[in-house]
Amino acid sequence: MAEFGKKAYTLEDPYVVENPYLINPLCALVLFKTDASVAPTVTIKGKRFAREDMSHTFAAGTTHMLPILGLYADFANTVVISLPDGSSKAITIKTAAVPADVCKCTSISTSADYLQDNFMFLTPAGKNQPTAYDYKGDIRWFLTENTMFDIKRAQNGNILTGSSRFCRMPYNSTGLVELNMLGKIHKEFRLPGNYHHDQFEMEDGNLLILTQDFHRDTCEDMCVLVDRNTGEILKSWDYKTFLPQDVAGSGSQDPHDWFHNNAVWYDKPTHSLTFSGRHQDAIVNINYDTSELNWIVGDPEGWPQEMVDKYFFTPVGDVENFDWQYEQHACLITPEGDVMCFDNGQYRAKKKENYITNPENFSRGVRYRIDTKKMEIEQVWQYGKERGQEFFSAYICNVEYYADGHYMIHSGGIGMENGYASDKLGAFLSSADPTAEIRSVTVEEKDGIVLYEMETEGNFYRAEKLTIYHDGDNAIFGAGQLLGNLDVTPEFDTVAEAEEVEEQPDVWHNIIIEEDEDRFVFHGKFEPGTLVMICMEGKEENHQYFVNTSAVFHLAMCSGAFLEDDDRDVKMNISKEGLQGRFHIKLVINEKKYDTGISVYCP
Amino acid sequence: MIQEINTEAYDGMEKSGPMMVEFYSKKCGPCKMLSFVLKAIDKLNPDFRIYTIDFDENQELKERLGVTGFPTMLLMNDGVETSRLKGLQQKPAIIKAIEDIM
Repeated sequence: MAEFGKKAYTLEDPYVVENPYLINPLCALVLFKTDASVAPTVTIKGKRFAREDMSHTFAAGTTHMLPILGLYADFANTVVISLPDGSSKAITIKTAAVPADVCKCTSISTSADYLQDNFMFLTPAGKNQPTAYDYKGDIRWFLTENTMFDIKRAQNGNILTGSSRFCRMPYNSTGLVELNMLGKIHKEFRLPGNYHHDQFEMEDGNLLILTQDFHRDTCEDMCVLVDRNTGEILKSWDYKTFLPQDVAGSGSQDPHDWFHNNAVWYDKPTHSLTFSGRHQDAIVNINYDTSELNWIVGDPEGWPQEMVDKYFFTPVGDVENFDWQYEQHACLITPEGDVMCFDNGQYRAKKKENYITNPENFSRGVRYRIDTKKMEIEQVWQYGKERGQEFFSAYICNVEYYADGHYMIHSGGIGMENGYASDKLGAFLSSADPTAEIRSVTVEEKDGIVLYEMETEGNFYRAEKLTIYHDGDNAIFGAGQLLGNLDVTPEFDTVAEAEEVEEQPDVWHNIIIEEDEDRFVFHGKFEPGTLVMICMEGKEENHQYFVNTSAVFHLAMCSGAFLEDDDRDVKMNISKEGLQGRFHIKLVINEKKYDTGISVYCP
Repeated sequence: MIQEINTEAYDGMEKSGPMMVEFYSKKCGPCKMLSFVLKAIDKLNPDFRIYTIDFDENQELKERLGVTGFPTMLLMNDGVETSRLKGLQQKPAIIKAIEDIM
C-alpha cells in the first residue's frame, strides 16, 4: 500500500502485485485511481474461447484495488480492466507452473454451461494443497498453505476453513480461519481444544466449530459456538452428556476417539443440531438449547434397548434396498427435513464377524426421509453403491444438496493397492508405491443424470463448488486478527535427571523451533524411545515439557497434513499462554541436557 | 523402595500388602520418563514397594498378568491387582492410585 501511495497510478499504468499475500500464486492485485467515481470490470480471459472469459464488476469508487483471481498456471494470462466509459487496459500476468505436490485433475466430464463461473474447490486430506479446478480441470486457485478439513463460503463472501497451524497430532490445528480468495487471512478463531473437521456459520454470523477438551481422556466429542467478532466461546455442547461412550462402536472406534465427530449442522426449522459420529455409525440430533437427544439415524444394533425404542428409526418403503450408513461423514438436513450424508460404509456392520472387506464394499451419497412422529425412515435417494469398490472411500468425503434431485457426491478418499480397495487409509498409502493409487472422485447428479464428474490425484477431504468472485467485498484490507485463545500447554511435573552440557544437540537431530505470536513449535528427529524433554528456563520460572518419541498408530487419519514421512520426526506445540518473560531453551536427550542457544520472549 | 525384578523373582516373592508392579521397555521414551517420576514418588514414600519388570524379557508373565503395552503400572494388594495405570502418568495420578490401596 505504501508503494501504491508513492505514485499516481492510473488505468493506463496500474500498480500490479502478484500473489500479494504470498500463499496464492494464481492471483494478483491491480491498483489504480480514477478522477471520477466509476465501477471497473475485470475480465480474466479464457485460455481457449471467449466463453471461458470470467468477469466481475466492482463497486464504484476513485481508488481501485482489484483482486485478479482464477489465473491459469504456467501461462501468460490476459486480464482486461474496463471502465464504463469504454476505456480499457489489458495487462499480462505470467504465472509459474504449479508445484509437483499440487494434485492434478486426471479426467473431467462436464461442460462450461453447467459449471458456469464456478470452480470445484477441494480441501486436502494429506500433504496436498487446497486446490480449485475449472470445467476443463485446469487448476485456477491453490494455496501453498495446507489449510484443511471443511471449506465453506460465509455470508460475507469470505471462506471458512481450518488453519494450517499445527497444534496436536493427529490433525488438530489452532483454529478456524476466515480468508478471502486472494489468501488474505482476516481472522483466526483459536480454540483451547483446537479445531477439527467441520464448522457451520449461523444466521447471525457466529460459528459452530468442532473441538474437544484435551484435559480429559477423550477427543472429538465437543462443539462450541464462537462469537464472530470477538472469538469468545458463547456456548458449548459435550456429547458425553447425551450419549453413552461404550456402546455400538464402529470398526474404527477406540475408547479415546469414541465418537469421532466429523460434521455439524444447524437446522433452523427444528432449532436443532445434528452431529455425525463416525465411530458410532450414528447421525445424532439434539435440541440446540437443552442438548436433549431427539433422534439417532443409524443401525440400532449394539445400542441399549431403551435408546433403540426411544431414538432410533424403523425402515419403511423399499426396505429390500435400504442400507444404514456406516462410518459416515458430512451429515446435513435438507430444506425438506431429510437427512443426507456421505455413507463411507467402512466395515458396513456392527459386529466384527459381519464386517465387509473394502474390495467388496461400496460408498455412496444417501438421503433418508425421516418421520419423527412415527420414528420411521425411508431411503429416498442414493448414488455410488452401483460403482462398488472403485468409488469406495474408507474415510473423509462429503455430499452437498443444491435442490431437490440435484446433489454433489465427493468420494475423496479412494485408495487402491494392486487394483483393489486398500485396507489402509489413503493418508497411509505412499504415492511412490507403484502398486498404490490414491485418488478423489467428485460427481454432481441432477434428476438421476450425472452432469459433472472429476477425478484427481490424491485424497481430498471435501469438495465445495464456489464462484471465485462474490457480490461482497472481494479484497478487505487491514491487519488480520488472532481471536480466542490457545490452551496452556500441559507441563510435566518431574524433570528428568540429566548431565548439563554446554554443547548443542547433534545436528542429526535437526532441531528447529518455529515461533509464532502465540506459540512455538518444536521439531526434532529422534530414534523411537529416546527420552526428550524441552526445558524453558527463565529468571523467575521454569517450564518443562515431555516430548513423546514413540511411534503412534492412529485409527483415524482424516487429514495427514501433519504426518511426517519419517517416524523419527516429532513435533510439539507449546502455547505462549501462561508463559511470561524470557526463557532459555534447553533440551534433555536421554542422559544429557543440551543448551540450544535459543531464547524466546513471551510478553 | 524401587527394585528391578524378573518373572522368577516375581513368582517367588512375598506379595502381602500394597505394592506396584511396573512393566517398562528399554525402547520406550515414556518409560524412561516414568522412571524419574517413580524415583520422585519413592523419595516421598520410601516404604512403598515398587517393582519394575522388563516387558520384553518377561513375555509369559506379562501375558499372565494381561499387560499388553508399556509402561503399565499394576497396583496390587496381597498379590491381587486392584487397579492399573496405562501410559506415562504424572505424580498426582500415581500418588492417588497408591493412596487408594494403602
